[in-house]
Amino acid sequence: MNAVTGLALRILMFVSLYAFLGTAVWLLWKSITGSRLRGGTIAIPTLTLATTINGDQMIQTYTSSDVLVGRNPDCDLVLNDETVSGRHGRLTYHLNQWWYEDLKSTNGSWLDDLKIEEPIVVKDNDSIYCGDAVFKIYIKPLQ
Amino acid sequence: MLLLVCITLFLYAAALSLATGTRLHSEKLIISAEYYIPFLVWLAGTLGVQRNIRRRLPNRDPWIFPATSGLTGLGMLTIWRLSPDLGLKQSVWFLVGCGLFLIALNTTDLIKILKTYKYVWLFLGIILIGLTFVVGVNPTGTGQRLWLKVFEVYIQPSEPLKLLLIIYLAGFFADQIRPNVSWLGSIFPTLVVVGSAGLLLVAQRDLGTASLFISLYILMLTVTTQRRRLLWVIPALALVAGAVGYFAFDVVRTRVDIWVNPWLNTSGNAWQLAQAQIAIASGGLTGTGPGLGSPQFVPIAVSDFIFTAIGEELGLLGTSAVLFLLLLLVVRGIKIALSSKTTFGRYLAFGISAYFALQSTFIIGGNLGLLPLTGVTLPFLSYGGSSLVTNIIAVLLLLRISTETSPQDLPEKARSPYQWVTGIFVVIFLLISAWNGYLAYPNQQKLIAKAENPRWAVYDRYSPRGEIYALSGEKLVEVQGEPGSYALWVNEPQLSNTLGYAQPLYGQSGLQSSQYELLRGYVGVPFEERWQHELLYNQPPAGLDIKLNINLALQNKADELLGDHKGAVILVNAQTGEIYAIASHPSFDANTIAENWDSLMQRTDAPLLNRATQGSYPLGSLASTLAYGSLVESNHAFDLGPTQDSFRLDPFCYRAMQVAGSSINAFQYGCESVAEETLNSTDPAILKADLEAFGLFSAPDLAIETADPSPALSVEQLDQNPLSVMEVQVSPVQMVMVAATITNNGMRPAPALVNSYYSREGTWQAFGPSQAAQVVLSENLSEEIQDNLRSDTQTIWYQIGHALINQEEPLTWYIGGTTPEWSAAPLAIAIAIEEEAPELALQIGNTLLNLSVSN
Repeated sequence: MNAVTGLALRILMFVSLYAFLGTAVWLLWKSITGSRLRGGTIAIPTLTLATTINGDQMIQTYTSSDVLVGRNPDCDLVLNDETVSGRHGRLTYHLNQWWYEDLKSTNGSWLDDLKIEEPIVVKDNDSIYCGDAVFKIYIKPLQ
Repeated sequence: MLLLVCITLFLYAAALSLATGTRLHSEKLIISAEYYIPFLVWLAGTLGVQRNIRRRLPNRDPWIFPATSGLTGLGMLTIWRLSPDLGLKQSVWFLVGCGLFLIALNTTDLIKILKTYKYVWLFLGIILIGLTFVVGVNPTGTGQRLWLKVFEVYIQPSEPLKLLLIIYLAGFFADQIRPNVSWLGSIFPTLVVVGSAGLLLVAQRDLGTASLFISLYILMLTVTTQRRRLLWVIPALALVAGAVGYFAFDVVRTRVDIWVNPWLNTSGNAWQLAQAQIAIASGGLTGTGPGLGSPQFVPIAVSDFIFTAIGEELGLLGTSAVLFLLLLLVVRGIKIALSSKTTFGRYLAFGISAYFALQSTFIIGGNLGLLPLTGVTLPFLSYGGSSLVTNIIAVLLLLRISTETSPQDLPEKARSPYQWVTGIFVVIFLLISAWNGYLAYPNQQKLIAKAENPRWAVYDRYSPRGEIYALSGEKLVEVQGEPGSYALWVNEPQLSNTLGYAQPLYGQSGLQSSQYELLRGYVGVPFEERWQHELLYNQPPAGLDIKLNINLALQNKADELLGDHKGAVILVNAQTGEIYAIASHPSFDANTIAENWDSLMQRTDAPLLNRATQGSYPLGSLASTLAYGSLVESNHAFDLGPTQDSFRLDPFCYRAMQVAGSSINAFQYGCESVAEETLNSTDPAILKADLEAFGLFSAPDLAIETADPSPALSVEQLDQNPLSVMEVQVSPVQMVMVAATITNNGMRPAPALVNSYYSREGTWQAFGPSQAAQVVLSENLSEEIQDNLRSDTQTIWYQIGHALINQEEPLTWYIGGTTPEWSAAPLAIAIAIEEEAPELALQIGNTLLNLSVSN
């Protein structure tokens, strides 16, 4: 009597335990996939970068929160200049600000006279110097 | 979510409450209601806390509380199952923890207070540790003195110190605006603090906690300075510290040694590790069932080894759930850190999560033999009030931090160390789980079969072993008592050497060991029955009875005749090899083996040795008979007639001949000169083949343990020194097969001790001979040998021999058998007496052979 009841309880115990674990996995999975979608809906002030290379004016607008600057063709902003490193710097949006950080480039990045060692906050109309190249930042504030 | 946790734990408590009745195979429902106490305490505390956090922290992380309360409840019930006393204490501690939780929950500025007074908390912790040096105690009375005793309550200050240190580090690093600006400015103060706390612990020999601190510190440094490569420091430091510690501390050396090979020395500390692995294996995939296993065989199962206790009774399913819940806690904790609004909250949440992760890794890895054992607790599960209360408070902190989230994500560079740490712990937990699975399933049978596994002794108490009968149905060993207290009783203690003992502390021997599978019901029982018992009771089914070939009348006579003399007698059916009597003196009483163990072990006359099967005696002058066949086959002429010289030179031979009072026969009375002459005149190649055919160099195929056979002599050795045959070590059971061969027309049967087993169909199933009789001598030759050794007055043949054990102690041999005129089944006998006693040998041999007619 004890044995059979005990066995039934054991089985139910595992069912209940794994129902708990299964629910946990399922809900976690949902929350991960859900938060990705939500992450895309966070409003970001539109970033526009302007540069002149070989006399050509180039203006690009970005909607992502992460913009890579460099000479490599896969960069978001390609600066075709020998003094620019492959991956020269990066603009990211967090804590309600656009930030620029230098990615240990050979010739460094400068905000006017200031050499950029640490990530710094950039604002509308700032100019960033990457080696001999330069680009200008326009930020359209949120509505 | 919490509802499922409550249901699971209720079912666990309910299953535990039925375990006693299950083990006893009770027909009626027996319920041990005490297991509901920890469940109800847990339920009250959990629901009380849940009500409050629902009101005060509506935006909390939804996983932390169900996961940790589930682990705590599982721990409380498991501790109660292992020790109700400690279970009660743990329940009280749990309520204390819940009380503190509610107080902390209602302290509005808790996080701020923690941060502001971080140095106060830190020094409080360090002072407590310092106090253990002055007034430290150990609740068990011996060992490391890591506890403080406050009004009969033991507190282990290193537990809260862990949390206090995390608070301090989080506060300190949060104050640094740019933690990676200056190494000296930001790292040095913390290094001093952590270093001194670590040193205090090292001085206390609490090396587990010390290494935990250091690992934790490095993990926090990694995320605060955003330098991922710092993670390499942990394995590097572990190697260096391990190497230094190995030579500096005995504790470290033994821990590492037994970690490397726990099976090498399973008596001391390694016992624990070996038992831990056996416990995991005993649990297998689904566990023995709550309350049905024997997890208490692992020392300190309630605290350090609670993981293995869960592994035994809930199996891999249970331990995987524990690992999953711990990992869930860690992953969610780091998630809370990443989305925390304040830097202090982020570092604090990360520190707490890393602490849970590291401590779980340390102790579970240690339990399973993946890491050297460090005596830290398994968070939420292990017995220990200081640890439980600290963990409960840590959970509160996590929950509070989880309610204050930042809407923005951290920059990529700052996120990455957190993600790396999470990834590393996910991998570590998966590895632990995989190894746990390996121990529990592919390696299961190997571990369960280890000699160190004492679970059979528990099975014997609840499920009767098979009994052992003599051939005519007399019970030699019977099972007494009732379920829960079954015990073996040996009715014929003089046979203890052969029947053996099964004693929890000293293991099993003789037939109890060799026929274990049958007696214990592992073989010969239908698979369904075994499976059903395993599943329902975690016990093997009732064992099968076995019947020996022993003839109790002959056995008793042999024992009586051998008396107090050291030696062995073994009587067999010469045709079938069935052993009718097997005596070995001095013997012991298997019924009192536990009481007399020490004195039995101290005795120099080896009473536990079965001389008939395990005795190793030089062949001596019996070599003449063994060599006779090859002598004839080599076509050497040799006069076996009486030579006065043989007798003059050999006083034993002379004495034997006088005792027998028969005609002079130098061959029959084992004159050494005859043996030497026989050996010297024989062709070595033929001799070697004959000795091998007689089975002198091979272990007899017997149901109980036998002596290792002597290495075979090569033809060259025999050629150079034929007399080396007389030094060959043989056991009486080997010699009785020689006697059987001579009696049975030159055919050597295999010895047979066990006759049959009582099958579940209700019939005695005979064991056939283990192998067919082998031709050793031609019929003519065996007759010729018999003629040489024939008794003048009886229908028997015999030869007396002698030898020196270790070249000093005298030994008397007797082998004999019946002649073809004998009317009943042919018999053979071998006797070895460890003294010069031809009279006794003759008396025993002739009496037993003649007595057999009437039986």
